[in-house]
Amino acid sequence: MHLMSSKPQALNSIGPMRAFASNSKKVSTELIEINELLMGFNQYYSEYYKQLSDTWAVAQKKVNQKAPEVPQDVEQIDSFKRIWIDIFDNDFTELFDSQKFGENYGNLVSKELELTKHWNNITNVILQSVNLPSKEEIDEVYKEIHSLKKRVGKLELELKKREIKKNAK
Amino acid sequence: MQNESKIDPKIIEEMLKFSKNVIEAPKLVSAPDEISLEVTSHDVVQEMDKTRLLHYEPLTDKQHKTPLLISYALINRFHILDIHPEKSWVRNLLQQGFDVYMLDWGTPTSMDKYLDFDDYVNGYLDTYVEHVKNESSTEKISLQGYCTGATIATAYTTLHPESVKNYIATAPVIDGWRDTTVISNLAKHMDVDKMVDVVGNMPPEFMYYCFSVLKPFEQGIEKYVNFFKNIENKKFVDSFLRVEKWLGDTPPIPGELFKQWIKDIYQDNLLIQNKMYVGGQLIDLKKIDMPMFTQVAVGDHLVSPECSMPLHYAVGSEDKTLRMYPTGHVGMIASSISQKKVLPELGKWLLERS
Repeated sequence: MHLMSSKPQALNSIGPMRAFASNSKKVSTELIEINELLMGFNQYYSEYYKQLSDTWAVAQKKVNQKAPEVPQDVEQIDSFKRIWIDIFDNDFTELFDSQKFGENYGNLVSKELELTKHWNNITNVILQSVNLPSKEEIDEVYKEIHSLKKRVGKLELELKKREIKKNAK
Repeated sequence: MQNESKIDPKIIEEMLKFSKNVIEAPKLVSAPDEISLEVTSHDVVQEMDKTRLLHYEPLTDKQHKTPLLISYALINRFHILDIHPEKSWVRNLLQQGFDVYMLDWGTPTSMDKYLDFDDYVNGYLDTYVEHVKNESSTEKISLQGYCTGATIATAYTTLHPESVKNYIATAPVIDGWRDTTVISNLAKHMDVDKMVDVVGNMPPEFMYYCFSVLKPFEQGIEKYVNFFKNIENKKFVDSFLRVEKWLGDTPPIPGELFKQWIKDIYQDNLLIQNKMYVGGQLIDLKKIDMPMFTQVAVGDHLVSPECSMPLHYAVGSEDKTLRMYPTGHVGMIASSISQKKVLPELGKWLLERS
């Protein structure tokens, strides 16, 4: 009775909460790292929208210069729309084609993937606490299945070739 | 008051009509699941994992001897080649007397993340080519690859030239460094190792993002304005919805395949330099020595002509033809231009060699 009351953690030593509690430090570490990563992510995210908004402003100026009059009839509206679409498509395609956009977008996606990786790590802690396989363990199974399928395919092909050879004799 | 009187009443009329069309659209337009993209009758003659081999029913009494197998792209589904009876690539070839097979790559799941170029080239495509050869009792077939399907077909043709009588490359993805499209710019700056490590297969959402940055205002605004303007034109609406349904259905790409594709084609550009390996074997484009027909679209904003054309000059074939068409990536295979110009030229070329 004394032992049980003085060591409450022994009560749930095989339950999921014990496993989760022992890994809670890992979850905290992941959360701290996520927080640090978010700063980098936000930097590229802001730059992404800055590039879009700067391009929009320049394109709109070009439209204003090319079509200064407010359209008054249907034909004028149609030609204004054409000018607007052509200029915006050209300017935005130029942006999406540029190195500065490519680099920033690549970094943005990369940071997002790092965030996802940390999220996966937290999920793995929860999965392990309920005795379910982690993502890495499932991946190992997939890899093994893929490799076995390849080996079986090659063996079947070899067998087929031998049968053809045998029938030819 | 003077300014107000200047406005043409037709503008108001047009705006009211447009609003009416938007409101009435749900009554006039079918739901996406009511539209069937299976236009031409076919049988599924073989299945392997999630992939399928389709064989189309003939539309002529007699067919030319050499069958044609189409290796469709890895992005979106094969339906675009048979999207509408009047714009169907497959139907046109059947009407010209060709025996047509189609490879449907299916929809890979997380379990398929380790499928690589070797599985696609020496596994699926090789198995289906053998099936077509056996079923049609021929030693060689005609092979057509479209877009990324042409990258796979090109690798296959270099490794198994003995099975290919004629090779047709339609908008093939070959020279990544010369590609001038937005897609190539994004691909060049992508940390593909990290992407595959974290998410496994290339998710469709990423592909939708890539589509959204291609002519964003023409495709994102003008296209839909035209749709609502023509909401009462049944033919236009039917055609529009079919393409929209096709655009919204892109499967994931297996992680390992995607990784090698981005690295070897867009980042390191190994294919055109004859430095790419598939299943431990070198892809030497000079080994393509059979008749080859390359089709390129001048206005292609997914695979630029500069990316496709180098294949024509890199192969070992003496009998080779390069054709350029004044249309876009999809226009080349599913439009009135494809029916009136692209397909008749292809049919004539193929007939002379089948």
